[in-house]
Order: sequence, then C-alpha cells, then structure tokens
Amino acid sequence: MNISVPHDKRANKLKSTRIAGKLVNDYWQMVWRAKEEGKLICWYEGSAINPFLEAADICWVHGEAYSAMLAARHQEVKAQQAAEERGYMKELCSYARTHLGCAVSNQRTRNDTDTGIAFGPEDDDLSAKLPPPDMIISAYAYCSTGQQWDEMTSRVFGKKIPIFNVSLPWIWGAKKDAGYLRGQEWEETSRYVERQLYDMVKFIEERTGKPYPWDRLRAMMADIRRASELRLEAMELCTNTPAPASFFDWVVSIAPINNLPVDGVVQYFETVLAEVKARVAAGEGAVPTEKYRLFFDGIMNWNKVGWLAEKFARYDANVVAGRYTHMAFWQEPSLINPQDPVLGMAQNYLICPNNHASPILIDLIMGLCEKFKVDGMVIHASRTCRAFTNPQFLIADAAHKRLGLQTSMFEGDVTDESFYKDELLNSRVEAMFEAIDSRRLLV
Amino acid sequence: MDSQQILGIFAAAANDPLGYARAWKDRTGRPVIGSFPMNFPGELAHAAGTLPMILQESPDPITVGHGLLFPFYCGYTRSMVDQAARGDFDVLDAIMFGDHCVQLLGAADAIRVQLTQTRVIFFQLISSMCDPWTQGRSEESFAALRAELEDLLGAPVPDAALHDSIRLFNRNRVLIRKLYDMRKTGKAPLRAAEMQHVVKSSMIMDKAEHTALLEQLVAFHEQAAPQAQPGMRLHLSGHFCQAPKPEILSMIEDCGAIIVGDDLYHGFRYISTDVPEIGDPIAGLARWYLDRNTGVPCPTRVQNNVDWDAYLLDAIAEERADGMIVLMAKFCEPHMYYYPEVKEAFEARGVPHLLIETEHESMALEGLKTRVETFVEIIRRRAAAA
Ligand code: SF4
Ligand code: SF4
Repeated sequence: MNISVPHDKRANKLKSTRIAGKLVNDYWQMVWRAKEEGKLICWYEGSAINPFLEAADICWVHGEAYSAMLAARHQEVKAQQAAEERGYMKELCSYARTHLGCAVSNQRTRNDTDTGIAFGPEDDDLSAKLPPPDMIISAYAYCSTGQQWDEMTSRVFGKKIPIFNVSLPWIWGAKKDAGYLRGQEWEETSRYVERQLYDMVKFIEERTGKPYPWDRLRAMMADIRRASELRLEAMELCTNTPAPASFFDWVVSIAPINNLPVDGVVQYFETVLAEVKARVAAGEGAVPTEKYRLFFDGIMNWNKVGWLAEKFARYDANVVAGRYTHMAFWQEPSLINPQDPVLGMAQNYLICPNNHASPILIDLIMGLCEKFKVDGMVIHASRTCRAFTNPQFLIADAAHKRLGLQTSMFEGDVTDESFYKDELLNSRVEAMFEAIDSRRLLV
Repeated sequence: MDSQQILGIFAAAANDPLGYARAWKDRTGRPVIGSFPMNFPGELAHAAGTLPMILQESPDPITVGHGLLFPFYCGYTRSMVDQAARGDFDVLDAIMFGDHCVQLLGAADAIRVQLTQTRVIFFQLISSMCDPWTQGRSEESFAALRAELEDLLGAPVPDAALHDSIRLFNRNRVLIRKLYDMRKTGKAPLRAAEMQHVVKSSMIMDKAEHTALLEQLVAFHEQAAPQAQPGMRLHLSGHFCQAPKPEILSMIEDCGAIIVGDDLYHGFRYISTDVPEIGDPIAGLARWYLDRNTGVPCPTRVQNNVDWDAYLLDAIAEERADGMIVLMAKFCEPHMYYYPEVKEAFEARGVPHLLIETEHESMALEGLKTRVETFVEIIRRRAAAA
C-alpha cells in the first residue's frame, strides 16, 4: 500500500443529477400519501412495470428502490432488524430483507393497532411508513430470490393480497442462431413474456374495475423511449477523455429512468445531457485528474455511493461505465414501439444485466470495456446478491484474457453495510493501479 | 440376496455415483446424462436409451472450484462446479439443467465454460406453480427437452418408450414409498442413512436394476414383523439439492432419535409423486411437475395456495413424530425464505423443532451432538409430562 492518496481531490459530480434527489423525494412523499388519497397500491420488484401501473393510476412501490433509498439515507437498519426478528437470515438478499422488514413492521404496527395497544410508528421511522399493498406483481428476471421475495411479501400479509406472477426465463443462448437480441430462443421468450404482460393488464383491470387506459401507456412509453435515448447519448459521451460523468452519476440517475413518475423524466435527461455536452466542450472530467479509467462490475453498494465516488476520485480513477448502469433500465429504446409498446417492454425486461447467460453477457461487457477505453475493472462481489456475483469470475477471466485488463474484486453488499470491507478494497484497488502503472511503463 | 446385500449395493452406488456411471457405460456402451436437481424428469432421458443420473455433491473439499464460484454459495453448487473443473464429469455425454434457483444458474454458467466437450443443455421450468399457463409452459419445456435429447442422440424418443419409462419410474417410486410406510410402522426399521442410500441410488442407478433390487427389499420387509423402536420419533426436513451427510444422520439417531419420516430431496420429496401413465406423456410429465408441489411443497417454487408449513405439520401428525429437525444447507436462499413460516407455524402449534445449518466443509459434530441431545431430551420430558 504505497500509493499516497490526497484528500483534497473531490469527485466532480454532475450538478444536474441533484434534481434526481428532489424527484426521488417527491415520489416517496406521493407514496406515503397514497393511502390517504384513496389510491390503489401495488408492490413490485425487479422489472420496471411501473408505467403499466402509473397509466392505470395505481401507486407503485418498487421494493429495491425503497431499500436503496433507506440505505442511501442510512436508515436501513430498523427494517433489517424487523426482518431478522421474524427469522429472515442475514445471508438473504439484503434488498429483500430490508423490504420484507418494512412489510413485517407494517403488519406488526397494524396488528398492534388492531388489538388496541397504543403503538404507532415514529414519524421518522421510514421502515414502517410504507403503505401496505393492495396487490403484488412479481416480474423478476433471472433471480429466483426476486420471485421468492414477492411470495414472502404476500405471505407476510397473510396471503390476503392478490398476487400476479410474470415469469421471465433466462436466455441460455446455446442454439446456433443465438445472440444478443436475436435467435429463436430470444423471439420465443419475448413472445412468451409479452403474452404474460397482457394477462397482467387483465389482472390490473380486475383490481381497478376499469378498462385499461392503453393510450396513457402509449404516451408514457414514448416519453420513456425518449428519456432512454437521451440517457444513452449522455452515457456515450463518456467515451471522451476525460469522461464528463462517472458510473456514480449514472447510479444516481437510475431512479429517474427506472421507477419515478414518467412525467419529468425526459426533462431530467435533457438537463443531464446538456451538462454532459457542456463538460465535453470544456474538457471537464468527472474526477479532477483522470489517470485511470475503470469499469465497475456488480450491483451498487447503496450505502456507499457518494463515498465510493470520492474514494475513486482520490485515486485519480474515473469509473466510466458499469454493468449495472450501462446494461439495464430501458437499455434498448429502439425495441419500444410507442404505438404498440408491450413486446418492446417485455424485451427490455428480458435484458436485465444478468438475464443473458455468460457467453452473451461477457461479450457485451467486453464491448463496453473497449468502447469506454478502460484500463481496469473493479468488481463488487455483493455478498447477498448472487445474481450479480454468479458470472463474476468468468467476467474477470475474460477481461484478463481477452483485453489484458487488470481487475480487482472487493466484497460488499447492496444494502447491508456489515459485509463491506474497506481495507480490502483499498489494498486491492491500489494493487490494481500499481499493475496498470507497471504495464504502462512497459508499453 | 438378503436385505443387507441389497442395501450394500445401494450404498456403493450412492457413495460413488460417477464410478457407477462409468461401469454402466462400459457395460452398455450407452450415453450417460447428468442432471441437476430437483425437477428433472429422468424418464425422458431414460426413454432415449441413456442413463439419467442426478449429479451429486462430492464429499471432497472444494479446490479449483474456488476460482469459479464464491464461498458464499451452497455446498451443492460449489461442489458441482469444482467437480466439473477437476474433470470428474468426463463420463457424462451431456448435462441438463432445468431449474430456477439463482445459485444453480451461476453453477450452470460456470460448468458450461469448463466442459467444452460436453453438451450442456438448459431449460428453465416455470417456477410459479398456479398460473393458468403453468401446465402449458411446463409442457413446452419438457417438449423442448425432448427435442434437445433427440438432437443429441440423433434418434426420436417415441411415446411408447416414454410410457414404458414412466411406468418403470412409477414402480420404483411406489416401492420406495412402501418402504417409507413400513418405516412408520416399524416393519422396515431402516436407519436414516440406509433410507438415503435407497433414494440416492435410485437417482443414479439403472432404473430397471434398481427396481428389481427394490422389489426384493420390499418383499423382505413385508414378511417381517413390526419391531418396536425405542427413541423419540422425529421428522427430518429441508436440505434440498444435496444429500445430508450420513454422519449427521447417524449422529441424530445416536442421540436417541428414530427418523420416521422426511421431506428431504434425497428422501420422500424425490419419490412423492407419480407421473400419469395414460395420455400424452409430455402432458403427464407436466402434470407430475405440478402435482409434486402440491404433494410436498418446495420452497424453490412459488405457489400461493399451498403451504409447506401446513404440509409439515400434517406429515408429522401422520408419522406420529414427536418433533422435527430442520436441516438447512448453508446459504440456501429458498430455504432461508420459507424457514420463518415453518418456525412460526411450529411454535404456534407447540411442535418442537430444531434448526441445524450444515456446511459442505467438515462440521463440528460434537457441538451439534450436544444440541441434538438437548433437543431429544426436551421432547422426551414433554412426552413424559403429557
Ligand atoms: S439477489 Fe440481487 S437480483 Fe436477486 S432479488 Fe436480490 S438484489 Fe435482486
Ligand atoms: S435450492 Fe438451495 S441447495 Fe439447491 S442449489 Fe439452490 S441454494 Fe443450493
């Protein structure tokens, strides 16, 4: 550990992404008020089915988003404790544990109130503040944990809440014609999911008692398609040196594209794109000195976003792209036909950053590494998200062998800070930088 | 052959599955197809003239597999990847995966990369069990699997052959269920490790050979008089893809317990349900897949209208068991999700249960033994007080 790390080097975060903070806040305020306003509430995780719900005036609660928000505000512990008290073990996905903890708190509070015991949640206890669902929709790509989490939520609420399951098969891609967005398997799987989404809409109609407002969905999907194009254009500009924005800026921009109300999203990404363009014109980077360009593999450490951004900035490292941000969240806008959006929505759900088996997945990641001209890859082995850790040794191996990249793995977790090991990250990242330096000397 | 000799043959196959497969292949010259637990229809591969075998966790410590899967994965998946990386699966002509648990998916990916010479086939069974399309989708998956097999072997898998295989597999299951019944009454007082060998060898051995031996074993016990079995009657639950280590089973029995029932995958879960013998065989296999989960609910599936905890309480009443030991393979997420339900239901009903977390690596049996002894003692006192 002989790299000296100056503490005055700060990450040069995009200013425009501050708007995301306000939008996130407004969204959760809306969720917390929803019961009083007589809205139906749907809990879901995984795939961004929120436009289907928003169009039908259903308030949507994205489980990961709530867990991530609690972690980002360092308020996750109460929820995790509530889950633990019910017996959910620490090795379970911490997103799920945190969100299930909210369900447990909610039930406990309600039951305690039912029995007349004067015990309500404190106002600032966000774990108990989440309104209970009137319906649950499960549409989780790849990860069995996601589907089981939804089932458990339904069970915590006594199986009294209607639940609808959408099955999103993994793309194995072994057939001769298989590839990214092509081949018989892709076509068949897309149609299978599309059929289920139409059934999901019937389920929504049964809940609302109204015909489904397809026009509203079409309009929303036009906006989402546009927002996605703007987001991808801004990301693309980070192929410039120095890169004007970092992986961490794109992490902050996940909520707007993934789960916030559609209205306002296009404007958000227009603002972001404008700032990114201005930075490119001015030669301004996301870190004060861009000595290393890195790819980030793995899901986010939500209690560490800002902290990690600062850490890498101090090392003169610009994390310019990542699997989580660059391979997900309406990632393929061209597949969305706003006039007839369901198939394209199904397909976007199928291309979550884990849902292709490793040969296709790794080709995509290597493509990003080349495109963004990275020198190394930092790999977040998230202890309780095995969906992300599954292919990581294979990814690291491919990065070495195909692109000669240095890699560095560190342990952490999505929302459980106790799995995070700072010392390990420091020493491994420093070793990676030293290796990159020596390689450069040789070249 | 006497019953001990038969059990010896079963134990030998259970202890060296790949060795059995090699010998079978040498003897028959036919292909061997490995599969992952827990819902693979071996009937299909059998009807195609191959030896279907469910791949088993190896007792060996993980070596090269460390570089392919993280240590926070269940022992089964880590061992599978390790065996693949060490070249132990060279006897297999193909591997077929068909399941859903996220850790299995990781293992499938890692194994495909290792086994460049082996056809690695994947089909994902729908895991949401009570949707209007579950049956249809399962049929599609099994039909796709059949097509893959036909492509692999270059020959059709005729319906008639599939019906024959279904009948044979059903017979095998019926016989093992008879043993289970006779275990409850004391007519077949098999030790837990012996029962595991019976089931585990059925996952490995040529089905006709296994069934013929089972016929003899069952006949032997049917003639025997029930034996009084001293000890507290326990049900063993959980432990999905991997067989619990026989030394743990023996340790539990040595603490004064007799195992009268289980819902282990290497146990009753595997043989709980038969495939319809008439009608379209693919539709029959799909029916079997659905029925299994209502018969013995599985935490790797989701089905809002069945409850594993309720099933367990019923099973325990039927087995006249005094309590239950839950064996949980460390890091098994499906089990961790459902465990709180089971715990709450058992506590509410006042049925004693003990959770034991098992690891692939060697476990401190002495410490565990103390816990099991205490548990058995508590049950004994409760029974005496009742
Ligand atoms: S393990 Fe990962 S992918 Fe699976 S539900 Fe949790 S956060 Fe999502
Ligand atoms: S169900 Fe449990 S034992 Fe089976 S592969 Fe998944 S984690 Fe492992």
